[in-house]
Amino acid sequence: MSFDAADTRARNGRAEALVELYERAAYVRVQPAILQPADAFLELSGEELRRRLFLTTDADGREMCLRPDLTIPTCRLHIESSAPVPASYCYLGRVFRDRGGGAGEYLQAGIESLGREDLEATDAETLALALDSAKHFGVEKPMIRMGDVGLFSAFVAALNLSPAWRRRLLKDFNRTGTLAADLSSLKQISSAPSPHAGMLAALEGSDLASARAFVADLLSIAGISNVGGRTVGEIAERFLEQASLGSAGGLGSGNCTALERYLSVEGDPDEALAELRALAKDSNLDLSAGLDRLEQRIGFMAAGGVDLSIVRFSTAFGRALDYYTGMVFELYDPRGQVKWPLIAGGRYDRLMTLLGGKNAIPAVGFAAWIEQLEQAGAA
Amino acid sequence: MSALIIGVPSKGRLQENAHAFFKRAGISLVQPRGGRDYRGTVPEIEDAEVVYLSAAEIAGNLSQGTIHFGVTGEDLVRETMPDADARVLMIDGLGFGFANVVVAVPQAWIDVRSMQDLDDVATAFHAKRGKRMRVATKYVNLTRSFFAQHGIADYRIVESAGATEGAPATGTAELIVDITTTGSTLAANGLKVVDDGVILRSQANLVASLGANWGQRERASARALLDRIAAERVARTTREVRSRFKTADAELVAEAKGRFRAIAPLGGPTSSGMLTLLCPPETVHELAIFLRQRGAETVMVAAPEYIFERENPLYEALISKIG
Repeated sequence: MSFDAADTRARNGRAEALVELYERAAYVRVQPAILQPADAFLELSGEELRRRLFLTTDADGREMCLRPDLTIPTCRLHIESSAPVPASYCYLGRVFRDRGGGAGEYLQAGIESLGREDLEATDAETLALALDSAKHFGVEKPMIRMGDVGLFSAFVAALNLSPAWRRRLLKDFNRTGTLAADLSSLKQISSAPSPHAGMLAALEGSDLASARAFVADLLSIAGISNVGGRTVGEIAERFLEQASLGSAGGLGSGNCTALERYLSVEGDPDEALAELRALAKDSNLDLSAGLDRLEQRIGFMAAGGVDLSIVRFSTAFGRALDYYTGMVFELYDPRGQVKWPLIAGGRYDRLMTLLGGKNAIPAVGFAAWIEQLEQAGAA
Repeated sequence: MSALIIGVPSKGRLQENAHAFFKRAGISLVQPRGGRDYRGTVPEIEDAEVVYLSAAEIAGNLSQGTIHFGVTGEDLVRETMPDADARVLMIDGLGFGFANVVVAVPQAWIDVRSMQDLDDVATAFHAKRGKRMRVATKYVNLTRSFFAQHGIADYRIVESAGATEGAPATGTAELIVDITTTGSTLAANGLKVVDDGVILRSQANLVASLGANWGQRERASARALLDRIAAERVARTTREVRSRFKTADAELVAEAKGRFRAIAPLGGPTSSGMLTLLCPPETVHELAIFLRQRGAETVMVAAPEYIFERENPLYEALISKIG
C-alpha cells in the first residue's frame, strides 16, 4: 500500500482502463462481496491455502474469509443469480493473501467466460485477452508458460495402471505441479509385500458382494460396530483393488518410461505436439482426442495473432488448484524482475458443479495481478 | 521491576511438576498471595519473576518475546510457531508431561495401516464423493506440515477445541490428529493410531524465547537460573563413589575411567588411598564390585545434590543463539 495518493489514483486509473477494455469486449462487470464463506475456498483449494487466508468467524460461527481470489466469488454469483449461459464476466478488486510478509492485499482484474461450447476457440481468445492485458501495462512480450491438465488425465487413463496409481498420479500432478520431481520417489514405492498379503490372495477374483461380506465378518469378529466415515463397501472395494494388483503393485517400468518421456516434453507448442504424437504412437496409446484438441487450440491461437514463439508449452506444467481441467497458463515478466506470475488462468470445467451448480458448465478465465504488471511494465 | 520473566503453567499437574522441577534445582517459586496469584517471585534469583499462564499462552508469549523462559509442552511450541527453531530454544526436556501427537483413524478402517494407505483413501474419498476427508484437530499447523510431508492433499481440517477423539463417532470428521499418552482414550472411541502416524513425541520443556529483550540484567539472571538447573541436571545423572584402601593408585583410577565411565574430580588417590569418583548411575554397581576386588573394604555411594561445573552448557547454548 502506498501513502502517495497520486500513485494510487494513477494505478486505479490504469486498472479501470483495463476493465473498460474487458467491458468493450462484452464482459459484464461484477462486484462480489469481499467477505466470503471460507468453505468453498477450503474445499476447492485444500489446506495449503488455509495458511494464506485471512479467516474470521461470523456471529453464527460460520468460518468467513477475505476473498483470496475473485474466480470462485464470481462463479458463485453466477449460480445464485441463475443467469443463462453463455455468460461473460469481468472484475476489478482487492484480493487478500498472506504471503508471509508483504502487504497481504493485492489488486486483481480478470475475466471468466462461462458456458461457451467452442472450447478451443474460447481458450485461444482468453489467452489473447490476457496478452492484451499485459500490453496495456507495457509488457509487450511476456514469457508464457502453458500446459494442459486434461491431456495428462487422458494420458494416465490410457496407461495400463491400477486405479490406486491413477488416483495417485493425478493427485500429485494437480497438487504439486511438479510430478516430474516426484516421479523418482514414486518409483521407489514399493512392491514390498502388503501386510495383508494372505488375505488379499484369498480375495483375488471375488466379487464385490462377497468381499463386502468378508469385511463385514472381519469387523464383527473384531467387535467393531462403528465404521466411521467410510462404508464397509468402500473398504472392501479397496481390498479388491489391491488384490487384483497381485504382486505387480509397482508402477511398472514401461509405464515409468512413458511417464518420464511424457513429462519431459517441453518447448514450442508445435514441436511439443509433434513429440506427443510420436510418444503416443511409440507407446501404443490412444491420445488422439486430446491431441487433436491441443492442435486446434494452437491453430486458433496462431490465427488470433498470438506470437507462438513466446509460448513455452510444458506437459509437466500444472497449477496447484484441482478444479482446472484443460489448458492452464501463466504469463511472466520476460526480464525475470518480477518473480510472481503477472497473469494466470486456465480452463476449469468442473468448478461450477463443485460449487453446487446443477449443470456442468464449461468455463475459462484468468486473473491479472495489477501491482505485478505495473512492476514488470515499469522495469 | 524485575527483568527476567518466567512463564509457568497456572494450574494442575503441569504446575505441580514445574514447581517440583524448579525446587529440585534449589529455586523456589513463591506465590505471595496464595495459589490464585498470577504473579510469583523467585527469592533465589535476583531480578526474576514468574507469571502464571496456561500452557498455550506460554507458547504464545515465548513466540512474541514477552517472556524470557517458559515451561510448556513441545507440542504447543511447535503448533504455535511453524518456525519454532528460529524463535525459541528448547533448553531441556523436563521428564514430565509426556504425550504423542498422532494421526488416528477408525479401527474399522482395517485397510489403513500406513500414511501411504491414508493418502490413497483420502484421494479416493475425494474423487468419489467430491468432498474432502475431514481431520478434526487443534494441531492445525502440525497436521498441515505432516500431511504435506506425506504428500496428502485431499483433506480438510476441522478445528476442534475439545473432545476431538469423539469427532469420527459423531460424524463431524473422518479422522483426527490428537495427543495421546496411553492410547486408551483413542481405543475407547474406536480409533487406532496409523503405524507411521506419530507426528511428535512431546514432553514438557524449559523453553527460552530468542525474541525477548536480553539485556545485561536478564542475562545475569538467566545465567544464575541455568547454573542451578544445570547443576541439578548433572547431579541427577551422577553418583559419588568413595572409598579408602592402600592399593588404590593412579593405574586403578585409569582403569575405572575406561571401564565404568568414572571421573576423579578431586584428583587422587591421596597418599593414604582416599579416593572420590563420580560415575553414571548405570555403572555404579560394577564399579563397587571392581573396587572391592582391588582391595577396598567399604565402598560408599551417594547421590550428590548439585554438581556445579565451570562450563554451563545450557547457558552457552542460549548465548550462542541470542548473540
